[in-house]
Amino acid sequence: MTTESLLRATELTKIYGSMVALSNASIEVRPGEVRSLVGANGAGKSTLIKILTGAISPTAGEIVIAGRKVAPGNPRRMIELGIAGVYQHSNLAPTMSVLDNLYLGRQPTLGWGILDRHRQRADALALLSKYQIDLDLDARISELPPVKQKEVEIAKALALEARVMLLDEPTAWLSHSEVERLFRTIRTLKTRGVGIIYISHILDELYEICDTVTILRDGLVVEDCPVASITRPQLLKKLIGDKLASEASGQAGAQTRYPRGTGETKLACEGLSKNGAFDDVSFELCSGEIFCVTGLIGAGRSELMRVIFGADSFDGGRLIIGGEEVLIKSPISAMERGMGFVPEDRHRDGLMLKMSVGQNLVMAILTLISRFGMLRPGLMAHAVSRQISTLKIVPSNPQIAVRKLSGGNQQKVLIGKWLQKRPEILILDEPTVGVDVGAKAEVYAILRSLRAAGAAILVVSSDMEEVMTISDRIMVMRGGRVQGIYDANTVSEYDIVGHVGGQ
Amino acid sequence: MAQLAQGRWIGLSSVFRSGWMLPVVLIAICAIFTVIKPVFLSSENLLSIVHQVAIIGIMAVGMTFVIMTGGIDLSIGPVLAIAGVFAADILALTAGNLALAIGGALGVAASVGLANGLIVAYLGLPPIVVTLAALSIVRGVALLIAGPELHLIRGPAMFLFIGEGPILGVPFSVYLFAATVVLAVIVQYRTAFGLSVLAIGDNERAAFLSGHHVQRVKSLTYVICAIGAGLAGIVQASQVHTASATYGMGIELDVIAAVVLGGTSLSGGAGSILLTVSGVLLIGVMNNGLGLLNIPIEMQLIAKGLIIIAALTVSSREN
Repeated sequence: MTTESLLRATELTKIYGSMVALSNASIEVRPGEVRSLVGANGAGKSTLIKILTGAISPTAGEIVIAGRKVAPGNPRRMIELGIAGVYQHSNLAPTMSVLDNLYLGRQPTLGWGILDRHRQRADALALLSKYQIDLDLDARISELPPVKQKEVEIAKALALEARVMLLDEPTAWLSHSEVERLFRTIRTLKTRGVGIIYISHILDELYEICDTVTILRDGLVVEDCPVASITRPQLLKKLIGDKLASEASGQAGAQTRYPRGTGETKLACEGLSKNGAFDDVSFELCSGEIFCVTGLIGAGRSELMRVIFGADSFDGGRLIIGGEEVLIKSPISAMERGMGFVPEDRHRDGLMLKMSVGQNLVMAILTLISRFGMLRPGLMAHAVSRQISTLKIVPSNPQIAVRKLSGGNQQKVLIGKWLQKRPEILILDEPTVGVDVGAKAEVYAILRSLRAAGAAILVVSSDMEEVMTISDRIMVMRGGRVQGIYDANTVSEYDIVGHVGGQ
Repeated sequence: MAQLAQGRWIGLSSVFRSGWMLPVVLIAICAIFTVIKPVFLSSENLLSIVHQVAIIGIMAVGMTFVIMTGGIDLSIGPVLAIAGVFAADILALTAGNLALAIGGALGVAASVGLANGLIVAYLGLPPIVVTLAALSIVRGVALLIAGPELHLIRGPAMFLFIGEGPILGVPFSVYLFAATVVLAVIVQYRTAFGLSVLAIGDNERAAFLSGHHVQRVKSLTYVICAIGAGLAGIVQASQVHTASATYGMGIELDVIAAVVLGGTSLSGGAGSILLTVSGVLLIGVMNNGLGLLNIPIEMQLIAKGLIIIAALTVSSREN
């Protein structure tokens, strides 16, 4: 690694009012290097990314790109200099073709605004073959699976001659095999000399794909070293401190599992089917257990959860709650039967982003905090402050708009809105997607305490580490069917991965 | 914690925090008019401004709820007209039965709102198209019932009191406007319905998954909006002692402008009755001030449009 660095930022500091978001942080990326940038939410990661992409100017510090000092705070200039960001949420135009998206806003023309279709296509083909990316240029973005959309974004950045790519949680919506595919693309980028800053909460990925790691905590770079020279426990400790580290690594609490919980069946599905989504699904969920449903994307898990919660209808089979067959025709009737539901996509389905933390926390309990339709501010304030303090939501001000919170705290708000009701059955779809390690541990602690209180908890998760950490029983779904239900005490992660993949 | 206990965190204080710009603009425009025409600031003139905006104001309050859910109601002009016509005709037919006239007028308005609401909420059609169709249908029905001519209202005195009748020197319609505002503020901040309206406008899918009666609440906002228009129709008929199927042409534009000036987002999820009132006053002040300056009507229209854009630019800057 003696080559000149593509990007070198030294002693970046960013101060907002009295708050120091980033303090003397330095980061460097060389050609062909995949550098992992990790840190809990609020550690200064996004501030650093924003400075590197030119979205904000640092209070102090300097940025050098390919040996030249750059004036910060100019996003356009950063793109011209080859710094490209690929973010968690897609920036593609969904109804347009791959080809159009690659050159969106700067299509080659024949003059007079007429597109040079031939050149555009030739350029695109050359680009894709150079980086060995396999994409159908005429496919519509909305018809592509998530991993291909990610690749389109990467190709789009490459079309801009990106030298350094910031990948922010690139695997957040991808399944296991898709992650492998993305990693192949990243390895090709490496051999072509592209530098990558890889941001992810998933430590497995860090160890698999990254060469070096920069760890941020409380605005400081607490470690900068080759990945090979730091063990997982050391890394976790640096990341979040000692106590939380043992929680998250799955050692604490993982030993005591409660398959079938108290033995009392809360909810049972018998041959539940929905055309085009899932078929003949049967299982029993007991109170006092955490029942994980895992599988690949497209296995029909999320659809099943929506049906159980009454958000969608089903075509066949029976749903039994507390021993009697029920017809749940809306979320309202599901809630009357003691259910709560934390959806997968918290921005699209879960939160009222413009509204306050307090308002979001009472969204599912309006009937409990009102009388004859009139809200009772005392009860409302009490419910809100209770959830904020038990869930340790930060900042603790209930008036702040939810969109200003970090991902982990948003997720806590989303879970918190069901807790006030003491749900008997809580369904959570991918409860820790895009949540940092510290908040993950807190979410697990919440689920465990609900379990201890006798709730039946149904969790959909694609994160194997999560499944093995929290589940009492595991159901694997594949292609809309139940592949098997396993006791978490007697099954290994290796076996589950095998079942998920279809062996 | 003191704030928590008073329940003020529900959102009232944040309105004042985030929406201070519009009142400032309003005061600035008043100051300009006062400098040019000192008579602008006289109590008679200020009262007449409030009196003039009572009709738009009552309608804008109802419209705010619809727009907060992310909807819109373009049919309020004809609803105002048909409510006035119903009131006038019932008064004529029943020899001045006040309760029946008001009940009939509000009833017909509410049923238009209910039809709009049911179609928008349960059939899922776009509100702009549904209420545009309703605009045409209701105007047609009003003309069918009343013809193009004016219907004179001779009494009773109680009906004529609604629009003009002074209490302590202030016209009754101003009290009516104020009462509508107070009621709407309570509904917005102190009822489960008010919270639901905002939640639906912010994220309808999430509101559905949180167990809100999304369709019922949406329908109800259109009913509220139409009742507001019906009440405005009664006030107008009372003020001018006539009713006509052609009243309220284009009034929806002033009403929607007032709501949007108040910072209610056309995409839903954010809004406030009190800021809508500022928007209403701004429109009233402009109409009044430009009139005082003897600016010809065509120039007034142009000036009004420009001032709306300028005010919106300034007040959206604060975000």
